[in-house]
Amino acid sequence: MLEVENLEVSYGALAALHGVSLTVGPGEIVALVGPNGAGKSTLLKAIAGLMAARRGTIRWEGTRLDTQPPERIVECGVALVPEGRRLFARMTVRENLELGAFTQRAQKERREQMDRVYTIFPRLREREQQPAGLLSGGEQQMLALGRALMGLPRLLLLDEPSLGLAPRVVESIFSILGELHRDGMSLLIVEQSVHAVLALAQRAYILEGGKIVGEGDGQSLLKDDHVRAAYLGPLARGGST
Amino acid sequence: MKSLLGGILLAVGFAALPFFTARNDLLNLCVQIFLAIALAQSWNLLGGYAGQINLGHAAFFGLGALATRMLWVGGIPLFLALSAGAAVATAFGVLIGGPAFRLRGAYFAIGTLALAEILRITVGNLMPEISAIPAPALASYNILPRYYLTLTIAVLCVAVVAILVPSRVGLGIRAVREDEAAAEASGVGAFRHKLLALTVSTALVGLTGGAFAYYHVSYYPQHAFSPAWTFDAVLISFIGGVGTIRGPVLGALFYVILKELLAVRLVEFHLLIFGILFILVVLFLPGGLVEAWSRARRLITRKS
Amino acid sequence: MILTQQLILGLLVGGLYGLAAAGLSLTFGVLRVLNVAHGELLMLGGYGAFWLFTLWRIDPFVSLLAIGPAMFVLGLLLYWALFQFVVKAHEEVRIKNSLLIGFGLTLVLHNLAIRLWTADERAVTTAYAGAVARIGALAIPLVRLTSLVLAFAILAVLHLFLTRARWGRAIRATAEDWEAATLMGIPVGKTYLLAFALGTALAGIAGGLVSVSYSISPSIGLEWTLKALIVVVLAGLGSLFGCFAGGILLGLAEATSVVFLGGPYREVVGLVLFLVILVVRPQGLFGGRA
Repeated sequence: MLEVENLEVSYGALAALHGVSLTVGPGEIVALVGPNGAGKSTLLKAIAGLMAARRGTIRWEGTRLDTQPPERIVECGVALVPEGRRLFARMTVRENLELGAFTQRAQKERREQMDRVYTIFPRLREREQQPAGLLSGGEQQMLALGRALMGLPRLLLLDEPSLGLAPRVVESIFSILGELHRDGMSLLIVEQSVHAVLALAQRAYILEGGKIVGEGDGQSLLKDDHVRAAYLGPLARGGST
Repeated sequence: MKSLLGGILLAVGFAALPFFTARNDLLNLCVQIFLAIALAQSWNLLGGYAGQINLGHAAFFGLGALATRMLWVGGIPLFLALSAGAAVATAFGVLIGGPAFRLRGAYFAIGTLALAEILRITVGNLMPEISAIPAPALASYNILPRYYLTLTIAVLCVAVVAILVPSRVGLGIRAVREDEAAAEASGVGAFRHKLLALTVSTALVGLTGGAFAYYHVSYYPQHAFSPAWTFDAVLISFIGGVGTIRGPVLGALFYVILKELLAVRLVEFHLLIFGILFILVVLFLPGGLVEAWSRARRLITRKS
Repeated sequence: MILTQQLILGLLVGGLYGLAAAGLSLTFGVLRVLNVAHGELLMLGGYGAFWLFTLWRIDPFVSLLAIGPAMFVLGLLLYWALFQFVVKAHEEVRIKNSLLIGFGLTLVLHNLAIRLWTADERAVTTAYAGAVARIGALAIPLVRLTSLVLAFAILAVLHLFLTRARWGRAIRATAEDWEAATLMGIPVGKTYLLAFALGTALAGIAGGLVSVSYSISPSIGLEWTLKALIVVVLAGLGSLFGCFAGGILLGLAEATSVVFLGGPYREVVGLVLFLVILVVRPQGLFGGRA
C-alpha cells in the first residue's frame, strides 16, 4: 500500500507539488493524468527518492520512503521506470538487466528473474548481447520495464511508458502491464496517452498545477466531460456534443 | 571607499619606505611582495572574475620576461623593452584565446598548462645558458628603480582590476563566470568578454614578467616559464580571496611574509603549508582571507 | 636501426603510460573529477616500491602486492577527506573544484615527499636490472618488458572486473548515468569511493613499475599527470583498451620525435599532440564522451 500525504516538492524556490495526497492499494493499478508541467513526473521522482520533499510523507507498506535515499527505496520494493527510459545505452541488454538486480534481495533470484523477463519479452533474449542504445523504441521500453522487474518490485512506477511509441507497441506494453497486475503487482502509471491508461486503470487521479483536482475510477473518468474536453481532444469533444 | 583609502595609504606607505630605510633585504622583500601582487591580481581577473582557470599564466610571465630581458640587455631603453614584453605576451594571449576558449572548463585549464610547458621546455632547449646582466650594468645595479617599477606595476594591476570590474564590461565578464549560457542568451557575448579578460590579464602579467627581468641579476630564461609562477598566482588569489580586489593584495602580503618567516628555519615547508591552507580555503572558506576578515569583524562588532 | 630501437623503448614505456592513464580515466569518467595530483599518487607508489626494496629487500614486482592495497586505502582516505565534498556540486563546478583540490594536493604531496625523502632521484636496482634480451642488434630490457606485460595484465583484470563483477558494472553504470544507477539500487557514494580508490591503486602500481623500470623523484608528479592526461584525451573516456593503445601511441610518438628532433623535445611532442587532439577531436580516438 502506497500512501502519499500532503506532499510538497519544490525546485529551488519554485513549488512543483502543493500538498498532494494519493494512495495505491495493494495490487491496484492507479493512473495519474494531467497536462504537461502539472508535476506528474515530479511526483514519481519524489516517491522514488530522486527529489526531496519539503513537506509531507510518503509511506510504502508502512515504511517511510521520503527520508530514504533512492537505493534503499529500491530495496523496499518500489521501482521507477523513468521518463525516457534512461537505459545504459553503451551496455548490452543483458548487462542492463543484470544491473537491475543489483540489490542484495534481487541478487539471490537473479537467474530465475532474468528467465522470467525473457519469457515476458522474448525479443530481449534475441538481442541479449546488443548495446541498449541500438534497440528500437519499443524494445527499449521493454528493456526498461524488464530492468525494473529485475529488482523484484512490488510497486512499479511508470513515467510516460508510451512516449514516442507506435500505437501497436503501446498496446502490447499495456497488455503486459495488465498481466503483471494480474500477478499481483501494484502499478502507478503517469501517462499522456489518457485513453489507453484509463482503460487499464482501476482508479485515476488528475493532477493540475501541482494539485490533485480529480479522482475516480478509470471508466467513469473516461466518460467525464471535463476529462474528455481537456485530454481526449477535439474528436472526443465532438463526440460528446 | 574605506578600501580605496586603505589601498592608497598602503601604496603611499610603500612608496615612502625607501626614505626611512636603506636595508636591502627589506627592500627586496617588498619587491617580492609587489611582484606577487601583480602576478596574482592579473590572474585574478581571468580566473576569479571571469571564472576561467588559466594554468598557463607562467607562459605570459615568461614571454614578457624573455622579450624585455633580450631587448634591455641588448641596449634598448627600459621603457620600450617593457612595452615590448607586455606586447609579446598580449599578442600570444590573443592568438591562443580563440582556440583555447573552445575548450570547456577543465580542458581549458589543462590546455593552458600544456601550452606553458611546451614554451618552457622549448625555451629551455633553445636558450640553456644563464642570462646575466652585463658587467657595467651590474656595477651600477640599484634596487630603487626596481622597487618603484614593481610598485607601480602592482598599483597598476590593482587599479586596472578595480576600475574594470564595476564597469559595464566588468559586469559582462562576471556574468560569464556565473553562467556562461545565460550570459550568452542575454546578449553578453561570452567569447568577447573572456577574450578581453584574457588580453588584459596577459598584458599585465607580461609587464610583470618584464619587471622581473629587469629586477633579477641572473637567471635561466626557462625559469620565468616555470609552473611555480602560476601556482603562486593561484595560491595567492585563493588564499587572499579569489574574485575580490583586496584578495590578491592580502594574499600576497600573507604569502611572501610567511614564506620569508618560514625560510629561516624550514625551507620549502611554506609550499606544504600553503597547499593545505589552499585546500581548506577551497573546501570551507571560498572567500579566503577577505572573507575571514569580514567575518571576524562582524563577530567583533556583534560582541560590542 | 636506431629508430627501431627507440620505437621498442617507446612501446615499452607506453604500457606504463596506459596504466597511469587508466586510473585517471576511471576517476574522471566515473566521478567527473579531475584529480591533477594523480602523478603525485604515482610518485608515492614508486617510493613505496623503492623503500620496500631498500629497507627490506623485497623484490619490486612482489611489492606491488602490498602497494596496490596500500594505495587503495590511501584512495579511500583521500575521497573521504577531500573529494566527497567536491562531488556534491554539479558537473561544471565539480570539475573546477576538483582541479583546485587536486592542485592543492599536488603541492602538499610534492613537498611532503621532498621533506621526507629529499629531492634526489631514486631507482630500484635489482640484481637482474641489467638483463636484456637481444634480437639481432636490438636490445629489449627485460625489466621494462615485464612491466609492459604486467601493465597489460592488470588492465585485463580490471576489464574483467568492470564487465563481470556486480560492483564493476555498477561503476560503469554510474559513469554513464548516475541517477538511473540509483534507481537500480546502486549507492552512488560507495561507487564513487570504490572508483576513486581503484584509480589511486592503479596510479600507485604504475608508480611501482616506474621506480623499477626508470627512476623516480618528488618532481615526477606533474610530468606523469600530464602523460596520463594526454593519453586520456588521446584515447577518450570509457575505454580501457583505448588507454593502453593510447599509451603505446604516445610512447611511439615520443620515440619517433627523439630520433628526429632529439631528446630534449620528447615531452613537447606529447603536449603538442594533446593540444591538437583537444581542439580537433575532443572525444579522443576510441572514446564515446568528451
